[in-house]
Amino acid sequence: MPIKLLLQMSLRNILRHRRRNGMMLAAVVVAVAAVVLMNSMIRGMQQDMADAAVENLVGHVKVLAPGYRDDPGIARNFALAGDWRPPDGAPEVAGWAMRVRVPAVIMSERGTRGIQFVGVNPAQEGISFLSSARMVGESLKDASDGRIIIGQALAEQLETGLGRRLVIITQGADGLNREAGFRIAGLYDADGEGMEGFFVFTGVGALQEMVGAEVFTELSIRLHEEPALFALKDALVEVFTGLEVLDWRELEPQAAAMFVFADAAVLIWFFVMMGALVFGLVNTLVTSVMERIRELGMLRAVGMRPRSVVAQVVIESSALMLIGVAVGIALGLAAVFAMGDGLDLSLWSEGVESFGMRTLLRPVPLVDDVLLIALLSLGLGVVASLYPAWRAIKVKPLEALRR
Amino acid sequence: MSDVANRRTAHVVDCAGVSRTYQEDAVPVQALRDVDFQFSRGEFASLSGPSGSGKSTLLNLIGGLDRADEGAIAVDGVALNRLSESELSDLRLRRIGFVFQSYNLIPVLSAQENVEFIMQLQGVARGERAEQAVECLASLGIAELARRRPGELSGGQQQRVAIARAIVTDPVLLLADEPSANLDSGTTEELLKLLRRLNHERGISILTATHDPMVMSYAKRRVVLRDGAIVEDSAH
Ligand SMILES: Nc1ncnc2c1ncn2[C@@H]1O[C@H](COP(=O)(O)OP(=O)(O)O)[C@@H](O)[C@H]1O
Ligand SMILES: [Mg+2]
Repeated sequence: MPIKLLLQMSLRNILRHRRRNGMMLAAVVVAVAAVVLMNSMIRGMQQDMADAAVENLVGHVKVLAPGYRDDPGIARNFALAGDWRPPDGAPEVAGWAMRVRVPAVIMSERGTRGIQFVGVNPAQEGISFLSSARMVGESLKDASDGRIIIGQALAEQLETGLGRRLVIITQGADGLNREAGFRIAGLYDADGEGMEGFFVFTGVGALQEMVGAEVFTELSIRLHEEPALFALKDALVEVFTGLEVLDWRELEPQAAAMFVFADAAVLIWFFVMMGALVFGLVNTLVTSVMERIRELGMLRAVGMRPRSVVAQVVIESSALMLIGVAVGIALGLAAVFAMGDGLDLSLWSEGVESFGMRTLLRPVPLVDDVLLIALLSLGLGVVASLYPAWRAIKVKPLEALRR
Repeated sequence: MSDVANRRTAHVVDCAGVSRTYQEDAVPVQALRDVDFQFSRGEFASLSGPSGSGKSTLLNLIGGLDRADEGAIAVDGVALNRLSESELSDLRLRRIGFVFQSYNLIPVLSAQENVEFIMQLQGVARGERAEQAVECLASLGIAELARRRPGELSGGQQQRVAIARAIVTDPVLLLADEPSANLDSGTTEELLKLLRRLNHERGISILTATHDPMVMSYAKRRVVLRDGAIVEDSAH
C-alpha cells in the first residue's frame, strides 16, 4: 500500500472536519505547551535546589577524613600542600577550596551560640556562596586574615555588630580547648537564614594557628557541570587513599531526594496532562472513523487491506499529534523565554527557602526533556489511534456499506 | 495444475451448490439455496427477481465480500473458499470491478483521484496512473469533471466516475448491484449504453443485479432468482 496515498487521504480527512480537528489540535497545543512550561519550571526548581546545595560550602565533591561526618572536629584532619591541584586527567573543575571547619562556641556580652567555625582562603571561595553573598563591612583579605565574618542573623542574636570583638572557643589539635578573640570584619546576608546563624568565617591560616596544626578538614571541589561528577570522584579516589571522597548527593541526601523527585515529577506531570488528552483524541478519532465507516467499507470492498485502513487512522492521529506537538512546543518555549528572568516567589519566600530554593524561579528548558515530550506525545498519538483503527476494521466491508 | 486453471478459466464465475443462510435474527433466513451458476468470459448478464430474492447475496459471494456456507465459488479459476481475507482483498483489487447502488466514491478525493487510487493500491506508477485515469474518464465522456469532488457531481456523473474506477484496472469481471437505482431513466439509458459498449469493445464480463426492466433489456442473458434459487436462465 503506497504510503503517499495513505498520507494524502489522512490529511484530507483531517481537513474535512476542520472545526472538530481544530479543537482537538488546540487541546494538544495547550497541553503540550503546558507540559513544556511546567517541565521547565520543575527543571529550574531542581537546578536551584542542586545549586543551593552545592553552594552551601558543599561543592560537587568533598574530601573528608574518615569519621568526620559523624564526629566533626579538628581531630579528623588531613594534610594538603597549599599548591595542591586536581590530578591530571580529572575533568575540568570550576575551582576548589581547602578549609578547616570545626564546631565552636561564640560569645558576646549578650549571648552564646554554637556555630561552625570555618577557616577559608578567600581567593578560593569563588565556588561557594561566600563570594556572592551581600556583605556589610569588609570581606576577608586573605588566608591569614584573623578577623571574622558572621551572618546578619547571628549578629542580631548576639546583639553585636561591625568592629566588635567576639570570643570563640574550640578544641585544639591536642584535645585541649582554645579560646581567642576575633574582631568582626563584615556581616553577610545569605539566602537562607539557617546559614546566617550557623557559619562564622575567618582566614584558614588564622584558624590553623588557633587549633595548632597546619592541616585541613575538608577539600571542596566544584565542577562546571554536574555530569562530570563521577569522573571527578573516580580521579580523586585514586589520589586520596584513606580519605572519604563524597559527592553532594551523599552529603545532602535531602536535596538529592528532592532532585530525584523532580525527575519523576516531570514524567508524572506529562502523563497526567497527556493522559487526559488521549481520551479526547480517542473520542475524536472514533467519531471520525464511525462517520466514514461506509467509505472505509467501500475502500476495503474494492481491495484495500485492513492493515492499510489501520495505517490510515494511525497516520491521521499521528499527523494531528505532530502538528499539535510542534506548535505546542514552540508555544511552550515562547512562554519559557517570555518568563526569562524568572518568576518571583518571594511572596512565599519562607516556605520556598526551607526547601533550599531561591526566591526567583527561573524556568530551565532542557533539550532532552523537550525531545522526550515530543517522542512520548507522538507515541501516545499512535497508541490512541489503535482502538479507533480496530473499530474501523471490526466492521466487515459489507456491513459498513449497508450503513 | 495449469490444466485445471485453463479449464476453469473458461468460466469467469463458477458457482456449484452455493447456499447462504443469514443467522442474524432469531429466525435464520436462507438467502441462497443450492445455486449452480456459470458465467463465461465476455458475457453481459442481469440477475433479476423480486426484492429479497438473493441477488445481492449472490453478487457479494461472487465478489468475495461474503462467504458461502455451502458450495464452491471460483472466480477466474480461483477457488474463493480457500482464500484468506487479505487474499480476497487482493482478488477484489486486481480482478473484480465493483459498481454499487450508491456510487461510494471517496468524498475527499477528486473524480480523477477516485479513479487513480485503485491503481495506487495496485502500485501502478504515478505517470501511468494519471494517463490511464484521464483516458478512462474521457472514454466515459466525463473528462472535464476530473478535478471535481463527488459532492460537486450529479448522481449520473458520480455513477460514471464509479464505473471508471471499476474498469480502469481492466478487471475480468464487473459486478454492478442495482447500478440504476438512483438514476432517472434518461441517465439509466446512457449508463446502459456505456456498459454495453464496454462489454463489446473491451470484452469486460458484466454481471448486474437489478429489478429495472430497462437494465434487463440491455443484458444479453437474463437470470431470474426467486427465494434464493435460480428459476429462469435465458439468453436473448
Ligand atoms: N446481512 C443480512 N442479515 C440478515 N438477512 C439478510 C442480510 N442480507 C440479506 N438478508 C436477507 O436475505 C435475503 C436476500 O437478500 P438480498 O440478497 O439482499 O436480496 P435482493 O438483493 O435480491 O433484494 C432477504 O430475505 C434479506 O432480508
Ligand atoms: Mg439487493
